[in-house]
Amino acid sequence: MSEQENQFYNVYEVFSKKTDKASFQHQFSLLAPNADMALVMAKENFFRRETVADIWVVKRENIRGLTQGEREMLKRMDKNYRETKGYGYLKKKWRDYNQEQFTEKHIMGGREESR
Amino acid sequence: MQAGLRFEQLTNEEKHQHFMERINRGEKIEADDWMPDDYRTSLIRLISMHGISEIMGALPEKEWVPKAPSLHRKLAIMAKVQDEMGHGQLLLRVAEDLMAPLGNTREDIMQDLFSGKLKFHNVFHMEAPTWGDAGMIAWLVDGAAIISQSMMLDSSYGPYARALKRICAEEVFHAQHGESIILALAEGTPEQRELLQDALNRWWTSLIMFFGPKSAKETGNSNADRNIMYKIRTKTNEELRQEFFTKYIPRIWALGLTIPDETIHFDEETQLWIYQDVDWSEFKQIVSGNGPRSQDRLDLRRRSYDNNGWVREALAAQKAI
Amino acid sequence: MNKAMNEQEQSALIELIYQLGDDDFILAYRGSEWLGLAPHIEEDVAFSSISQDMMGHATMYYHLLEELGEGDADGLAHLRKPGAFRNAILLEKVNGSGTYLEKPDYDWAFTVVRNYFYAVHKQIRLESLRLSTYEPLGDAARKIMTEQYYHLMHWELWFKQLVTSTDVAKKRMLSAVGKVWKDFGGVLTLGPSYSEMVKAGFIEDENLLKKRWLNRIDRIFEETGVPPQGEPLIESGNGRKGEHTQDLADALATLSEVYATNPASGW
Repeated sequence: MSEQENQFYNVYEVFSKKTDKASFQHQFSLLAPNADMALVMAKENFFRRETVADIWVVKRENIRGLTQGEREMLKRMDKNYRETKGYGYLKKKWRDYNQEQFTEKHIMGGREESR
Repeated sequence: MQAGLRFEQLTNEEKHQHFMERINRGEKIEADDWMPDDYRTSLIRLISMHGISEIMGALPEKEWVPKAPSLHRKLAIMAKVQDEMGHGQLLLRVAEDLMAPLGNTREDIMQDLFSGKLKFHNVFHMEAPTWGDAGMIAWLVDGAAIISQSMMLDSSYGPYARALKRICAEEVFHAQHGESIILALAEGTPEQRELLQDALNRWWTSLIMFFGPKSAKETGNSNADRNIMYKIRTKTNEELRQEFFTKYIPRIWALGLTIPDETIHFDEETQLWIYQDVDWSEFKQIVSGNGPRSQDRLDLRRRSYDNNGWVREALAAQKAI
Repeated sequence: MNKAMNEQEQSALIELIYQLGDDDFILAYRGSEWLGLAPHIEEDVAFSSISQDMMGHATMYYHLLEELGEGDADGLAHLRKPGAFRNAILLEKVNGSGTYLEKPDYDWAFTVVRNYFYAVHKQIRLESLRLSTYEPLGDAARKIMTEQYYHLMHWELWFKQLVTSTDVAKKRMLSAVGKVWKDFGGVLTLGPSYSEMVKAGFIEDENLLKKRWLNRIDRIFEETGVPPQGEPLIESGNGRKGEHTQDLADALATLSEVYATNPASGW
């Protein structure tokens, strides 16, 4: 295989968001010689049916992921002092004062978390 | 795995055990995960053949793209053949990522196709001489493909399962496109019905062959068994073929078409379809590149690959901008 | 259009829509011949979308003709004789030697240049048609424009990247530019009844459209170092007058092979 052929086939990872409000999501990958081509190819290769509001292409070699071993670092013990479930007793306490406990809904300004 | 022990420190045997535990728990293996060599080679064999079959499968139907008999049919079959190329793209990317640690790329896949080392599905070696064949491919060949693909939707290899999910969603459109063509022919003039019956006669043997031989006896290898052990696939060739019969034979009969196998019937006792088996040495001949259109179609692909070599070279040089 | 058209205007309108529909129809066909044969798989998929879009645009134009009493769209696409087609000759020319079924030695440089130049013209033409006094045509143009942005972007990228690349690529691209230039005048003309079309406000003056096209192409030439080519010619004949080559006759025979066996039957 020649050096040049190798350069033609670069892996680009394709990300997209479905609507303006949505977050970017990883889709699939494709082979393209450069980012401009990758973008033009991505549109019809992956979004010829569904609607899409934006597209990113990222050269795979620029992504630093975790190895299978490194993924061990994602594990941790329960840390309930960081989470609401560690404060469940507050509800009963407030009830003693005839008060309602503020939940996520009150704290987020009355909005359900938008999804 | 022992808590606190780094994955890299495990022996190969322990890694293998850990791998099998993950698979048996229903976890998905990803491209960068450790995997046994024969898991990797099985996947490469299966997925590169699946991918290249989609690419080669575009060619017989493509013959009918410009000739499709209305503007609507022209658009629909163009979209369908495009999807096949798109499925090839998705699958080859999955295979290429598996090959990367071995130093192989798409270039090698293409060269293996041209040299005959990489085989493609028997059905795409066959002739498609009439519009009836275009209908038959879209209806029954795609129908068979849907059955074997959807069996692997829960494959232990995550990237394959995800690609198949997308592919199967598009196959729903393909199935309806096929049904629309064959129903129009079935309800048409006597000549149109004849197109359909002739095409069924031509394709029946290929459809039986599509799922592969019943057991390793006929082929002398046990890829299917290994793929089941590794949860890459979940059903045997014969189970898939029986599923195909159950799904399609009643429809073929309902349209008043005749299956070119007088012996075919459903056996209530065994709950299996009894049918005339095919000559599996012929199957081997076909997939080895000796089918009626094998070399013509390979030539089309080889020619386009060679003719466009300058384009790939030019764009490789453009990378800097 | 509010007031009723007179006969002359109506026939000029019909003439114009045949040009629009036939241009897209025949170039979409040439695109569909590439299916499975493009320089790489990802491009094959992208190119096919463009061919489908164009075939869809042709279908929209044929439906406008159907409304104007020219017969049904499928018949218009499949049963007319070559002499009744109004596409520019450049767009009917084969992609290269061989056929799509046998030994297709297709020329990607010619395909890129032809499609790019056509996409630029189509964009300019649609911008004019958007304001057509014939409202159904204006509506169709506005719809088609939504897809045209991608076509233009796609072909412009291919044009720029190839023409500024290796010596081999440059040579092939310049030779394709020369070949396309010899007949691009045929795309830019509106044919014998052009003054009627313009007078009735169906589309703007062809000289104006041509100037816009030349301006845009000149800019790209300057940017990419392509030497100026002068006035685009109509060397192979004027398709707007029904003059065509054997390439069109062969293409139509393929396109209608199945349909023509029984036009009355449903397919």
